[in-house]
Amino acid sequence: MALRGVWLVRPEPGTALCGSVRFSRRYPTVEKRAKIFNGVSYVPVPEDGPFLKALLFELRLLDDDKDFVKRCDSCSRINKTSVYALAIGGEELWPVVAFLKNGMIYASVPLVEQTLSPRPPLVSLSGISQGLQLLFGIQDFLSLGQKSDSELNTKLSQLPDLLLQACPFGTLLDANLQNFLDNINVASVTQPQKLPAWKAGTYKGKPQVSISITEKVKSMQYDKQDVADTWQVVGAVTCKCDLEGIMPNVTISLSLPTNGSPLQDILVHPCVTSLDSAILTSNSIDVMDDSAFSGPYKFPFSPPLESFNLCYYTSQVPVPPILGFYQIKEEDIQLKIAVNLKLHESVKNNFEFCEAHIPFYNRGPITHLEYKVSFGQLEIFREKGLLIWIIGQKFPKSMEINLSGTVTFGAKGHDKQPFDQICIGGTAYVKIGN
Amino acid sequence: MGPLSRETWAHRLAAFRASPSAFMAGADGENLGRDLLSDLRNEKQSEQTKVSLLALSLEYPAELWPNAPAAEAAATSLLDTLVLLPPRPSALRKPLLLAATTLLVTGGVLGPTSEASCRLLPLLLGLASGRDVGQGFGPISEQRPLRATACECLRELESCKPGLLGCSLGLLRRLLGQEGPVQPLSLLLALSLRDTLVAQSRSRAGLQGLLVSEISTGSGPWDWTLAEEGGAHLLPQAPSWPATEEGECGLAVLELTPEEARELRAVVAQLLDTSYLLTPVAQAQLLWLLGWALRGLRGQPPALFKPQLVRLLGTGQLTLLHAVLALKAAFGEALFTAQDEALLLRRLALAAQHPSLPLPTHLFYLHCLLHFPENWPLGPEGEEAAPLLLGPQLCRSLMPSLLHEPMALLAHLHLLCLLCAEEEEMDQGQLQSPQQYLEELLAGMRQRAALDSSPQTLATVCFQASYLVASCLPGQTKVLTSLIHGLAQLYQARPMLAPHFVDFLDQVGPELGEPLKRALQQEVVSKPGRNEALCWHLQMLAKVAEGDAQSATLSFLQDAAAYCTDWSLQQALLRVCRALLQTSGGRGLASLLQVLARQLEDPDGRDHARLYYILLTHLAGPKLGVALGPSVAAPALASSLVAENQGFAATLMVQETPAPIRLGVGPRMAKGPLPVLQLHIEALEPIYSLELRFRVEGKIYAPLKAIHVPYLCPGRPAHPLFLPLQPRCPAPAKLEVQALFSTPAGLTCHAPLPPLSVNFEDLFLPFPQPPNGAEWSFFEGLWDSCLPKGAESRVWCPLEPQGLETLVSRHLEPFVVVAQPPSSYHIAIRLLPTSMLLLQLEAAQIDGVPVALRTDDWTVLPLAGDYLRRLVGTE
Repeated sequence: MALRGVWLVRPEPGTALCGSVRFSRRYPTVEKRAKIFNGVSYVPVPEDGPFLKALLFELRLLDDDKDFVKRCDSCSRINKTSVYALAIGGEELWPVVAFLKNGMIYASVPLVEQTLSPRPPLVSLSGISQGLQLLFGIQDFLSLGQKSDSELNTKLSQLPDLLLQACPFGTLLDANLQNFLDNINVASVTQPQKLPAWKAGTYKGKPQVSISITEKVKSMQYDKQDVADTWQVVGAVTCKCDLEGIMPNVTISLSLPTNGSPLQDILVHPCVTSLDSAILTSNSIDVMDDSAFSGPYKFPFSPPLESFNLCYYTSQVPVPPILGFYQIKEEDIQLKIAVNLKLHESVKNNFEFCEAHIPFYNRGPITHLEYKVSFGQLEIFREKGLLIWIIGQKFPKSMEINLSGTVTFGAKGHDKQPFDQICIGGTAYVKIGN
Repeated sequence: MGPLSRETWAHRLAAFRASPSAFMAGADGENLGRDLLSDLRNEKQSEQTKVSLLALSLEYPAELWPNAPAAEAAATSLLDTLVLLPPRPSALRKPLLLAATTLLVTGGVLGPTSEASCRLLPLLLGLASGRDVGQGFGPISEQRPLRATACECLRELESCKPGLLGCSLGLLRRLLGQEGPVQPLSLLLALSLRDTLVAQSRSRAGLQGLLVSEISTGSGPWDWTLAEEGGAHLLPQAPSWPATEEGECGLAVLELTPEEARELRAVVAQLLDTSYLLTPVAQAQLLWLLGWALRGLRGQPPALFKPQLVRLLGTGQLTLLHAVLALKAAFGEALFTAQDEALLLRRLALAAQHPSLPLPTHLFYLHCLLHFPENWPLGPEGEEAAPLLLGPQLCRSLMPSLLHEPMALLAHLHLLCLLCAEEEEMDQGQLQSPQQYLEELLAGMRQRAALDSSPQTLATVCFQASYLVASCLPGQTKVLTSLIHGLAQLYQARPMLAPHFVDFLDQVGPELGEPLKRALQQEVVSKPGRNEALCWHLQMLAKVAEGDAQSATLSFLQDAAAYCTDWSLQQALLRVCRALLQTSGGRGLASLLQVLARQLEDPDGRDHARLYYILLTHLAGPKLGVALGPSVAAPALASSLVAENQGFAATLMVQETPAPIRLGVGPRMAKGPLPVLQLHIEALEPIYSLELRFRVEGKIYAPLKAIHVPYLCPGRPAHPLFLPLQPRCPAPAKLEVQALFSTPAGLTCHAPLPPLSVNFEDLFLPFPQPPNGAEWSFFEGLWDSCLPKGAESRVWCPLEPQGLETLVSRHLEPFVVVAQPPSSYHIAIRLLPTSMLLLQLEAAQIDGVPVALRTDDWTVLPLAGDYLRRLVGTE
């Protein structure tokens, strides 16, 4: 369950090496064990340079392989997980857990405590989930409030020290790196009683609990008689509990509004101490019937210090809150677009803000735009190929707004232009935030 | 010497990290480790720099101190530094402890004889137990944060030397029960508990009170013997997925006394009860360790884990669900009833597609579903399969969608394929069968890949999906037919995907490959080859052109030839011709090649066309196939041109091979003007046009003529071969033999054979028969003529009286001039070029026969003597 190394790699298309290692950490004691466990199938962890090259090649992020490359693109090389084998000096380093997120590749090599030939199934290797969890932890830490490059650099410079705390010998102690940062800043509290390992200290002050619920609606609206529209609500309940005591007990109970659809697919934070079996079994997989558990949903827990997601859920609402119509017609280099949005009457017409994002992928920058909006303003981000339609805090009385226009694109140039695997040609979407 | 400045160190460390091997090979490399240690102790150096130096020694100890003595010395130096730190809070203590531990492990010096080990271990245990370890560590408040670090160090040492802390189990238990830090102590206890159980079961010993006594023996808290064994057994120690390694190192043999079993249960319960105080990742580690430790132990009901499970199943936390799966694999039905299994599957299926979880987690859960440790698996172990309890309803929720990421799409698709394979025979009462869904999905993927602006990845994933379907559903003709049809259409829409098609055809079996080839060939030749897709069409044809549709292909090529204006197109065209040559040939191809040999602009192209033409018209089918086939000599990496040349070379050159022939010498033939060696030949495989070449060492015979055999076949008796010898002196010799032959595959091969021996007696020739009645005088004449230039000798042959007759009749019959059986024989032997050997055997006595020898060539005498002795020996 230990890791042999951790890397953060930033792909930089167009540069000589196509990327750079922004952070790396090796664990020689684990490496020593790997050598014994793996025996003849042992492949040493390489230096950063060869690792970078092999990783970028495997993830197809090198510039020179835009055409068909048998080693990566062959139809029989099917990779269905985030675990790769890197070709290094004629041998294959496996398993390498890696994923690309927000322009950074997060990679780690877990220890396999047996021989590697034949390769054991991933499910049997505890290091895979541990490795992924550490990478998620690093990713959370880096993305927390990070906007600029200098902020990123500051965070990267904190990583060596944080990993010294979170993973001193390659065995992960806590994936929540932020915990250790707080720990560094606040002098540790000496407690006569047992303090949970996920709590750096105790809170002193006025007790308060804040809860926020975020819901996102994913909807596909076909505007066709014979195809049913679909939509799904994905929700998250976020908590911050400022309570005194070592292990205060809190119970949050969620109740549905009248006629509200039951919550399904509930995943809770590990700090939740017990769960009703109805919560455990309520899911969107089974056919819905009236007997579905409709709450109240009780979550007893002992909170950590920081803000955390108490639970995630999905739900079905009777109608999508906004009905949309989006049409694209491609004419040479021009794109004719039409967007109609209609707020459902059951939704309160009052927002902090409301805007619709209309992105264009796999094209050049926007060179020209002619448009007409019935309401609100349109902002253009030419290089990003993005239109933002600022609707404001209210829909007009009619509850219906529309936008039509013609967008012209320049030639597709460098790799920094937005790329998407799905939004090709006439496939596109509108994202509405409020 | 003062300390190096911060900048200097930063620069140096950066250079080292960029490439440790290059740095260590450089001029500065040698001193780095020494400078590092000395600057750590330098009071003027800043703490921040020291921390970065320690970070380096944590990561690269083997590079900095490559051998055991250096590692030991460095660890000692670090410990000295630690002790000498002023008694105030310092950020260095923790990394110093970590670095010293790392060094002992990586340097391989951890052991009872290492001084550094003997200093570090008690220090760590002291810190871990919360004892005051001395002034150097400042006040006790400063020591407390180090407790956790000390525990981690001990855990790492235990990991690398399993069993090291076997004697400290009781102590660790007590510490955990008191105020100690929960997580580090829990993990340390769990690890050493597992190691001890493994070691004890291996040595078939009980726990011997290890769980209760503080420190059990007089040897102190360290069990080096157990650790030594553990070190040796590190390899099989941690088969992390019990099912895959069952039997090899199971714990079933450990028999515990009821008391020990109770104590063990108490420890496990103690650990599990406080496990909620651990971070999720540490909880997962604890469960893996305990699951492994208790698996197969009698009297240890896994029900202990039950209270934890409900809590764990509620989370989508990756490490926790994974640990639950590990428990499932370890205990199966004993811990999870069928209902529990169904619930676990449901939670997994839910988490595998939960919109709030990231993609890598989804992918991992999907993998877990296909490798789910079922209570009663139906299929063979280790193969991917949909668990029985997953059921159609759950499966349906996991259907692939075009909106999935490529990897997720493939994972979902795999599940769908498994479902299709299962439901093949089931009744099709549903609205939409999985097959239908599959076909629609594939059609959608092809449609997407066919778009002009579609990125490479979409084409790749489309072909990967097709391959997955082809390999999962080999017998389902309906699915395959629509797949073939769809792929042919995809090619029509986007010929630039030709490389994908070629790769796909390489990978799939003939069941799909053959009809797809025909469909694609049809697709290519049905349209005139004159557009920008020509290069793709040619690439495609080179793969699929064969068999029936010759004429259509040829007319397509003829048509295309006019548009092949540049070198690469011409080469592509020639590659198609080459493929055709290999499979069929025919008149049409010959005339096309002739046209190409004249028309092509590029001289290389013309040459190739001419060469192909010559090969086509001069070589028979099989030989042609071999000439153009993949060369044995060419490695796969070589370019096609190199490979092609090597292919020709293989055919047109002689290959050195082991000989498929056995050659032996037959009975002697003493007649004719020359001595003749009779050879027996036997072939182990069919060979043609065999030529045997002989060479005599030392030129004592005239050069030998080669022997030719037109055809040899194993199992069919071959005629004996006759090899006439022309000795230049009458001496035995060794013949080197070389065989040159053609194989049925058309290759010309060369093989050295084991040498043949020509013995002295093989050279014997008889004198012409003297007229009747003149034998005696003829012999007398010869006898007298030998002296004086020749030599004479007498030999005693220890033979019985009857033995003489047998000996003569067997070996010397053709050379007898005068005979008075059974007692007297006069023998004359001619030896080329000009010598003779005369023998008089007579007056056989009871214990032997005196033999008189004469020869006109004294060099023959020792050979003759040897020969006689051998003869007598064999009798």
